[in-house]
Amino acid sequence: MDAAFIERGIALVGAIAVGVTATVQLKNDWTARGLDADLTKVLLGLMALGCVIALLAAVNLLGVRS
Amino acid sequence: MAAAAARHLSGTEAVAARYRDVDPVYGETRDIRLLGFVFFLLSDCILFSSFIFAYVYLRISAPAWPPFLNGHQLPWFDTSFAAMNSIVLFGSGVTMHFALENWKHLNKAKFNGWLIATILLGIGFLGGQAHEWSVVGISWTATTMGAAFFTLTGMHGFHVFVGVCYLTVLGLQANGGTYTGSKYFGLTAGTLYWHFVDVIWVFLFFLFYIW
Repeated sequence: MDAAFIERGIALVGAIAVGVTATVQLKNDWTARGLDADLTKVLLGLMALGCVIALLAAVNLLGVRS
Repeated sequence: MAAAAARHLSGTEAVAARYRDVDPVYGETRDIRLLGFVFFLLSDCILFSSFIFAYVYLRISAPAWPPFLNGHQLPWFDTSFAAMNSIVLFGSGVTMHFALENWKHLNKAKFNGWLIATILLGIGFLGGQAHEWSVVGISWTATTMGAAFFTLTGMHGFHVFVGVCYLTVLGLQANGGTYTGSKYFGLTAGTLYWHFVDVIWVFLFFLFYIW
């Protein structure tokens, strides 16, 4: 087992765990009002998007170089 | 009166009603300070955007990417390690969110636990970046690729370092009695800053390791 395989495995598991948690938090905060709450929603959403990108990179669907 | 009205509200509205009830002046100054902090984040966003656009311009105008150096094409960056390190940083965003939520619910022990987890994950990310810099195989000055990579990731790493120091100070302040269950703007600002640093990395990760 090479290092890249282990790194991708950790990234995959982590991306699912963090992405799901961020999405659940986003859902819980969805009805919150105010500038800080709105900004938090945008930032949490972008962070969840980051988790999706990391997940796709971990399974070699993104970032594959020829 | 406001406390009774707050029972029908949820989330931030309830918190806002609560602190206005406790201290109307604090409620007003908090909004002004929050707006000032958002402007600070916007100015930081412009700073990163400028460097990101410079990198995009350099890349799309280059005849080949990665560029050639001494007749050899430079290697791509290591996606697998960066994906793992990214998750460390994104995870710290979630733990910071939990820390603030626990402070709002007056659970100081859990707040401390999540805050320490955030700081440790932030330090872990910085360690990962230091490792990445040591094995990346390009220099700051030889190519535009190296210049853009070290400048942007260095600037981001500096923000993470400042964030780690910031969160440490916030933790000390929170345990020293600076904040209460109704007055905790510093913690809100710290959380927003940390989320912002996370989101900047989403863009940098995509630009350097995916694109």
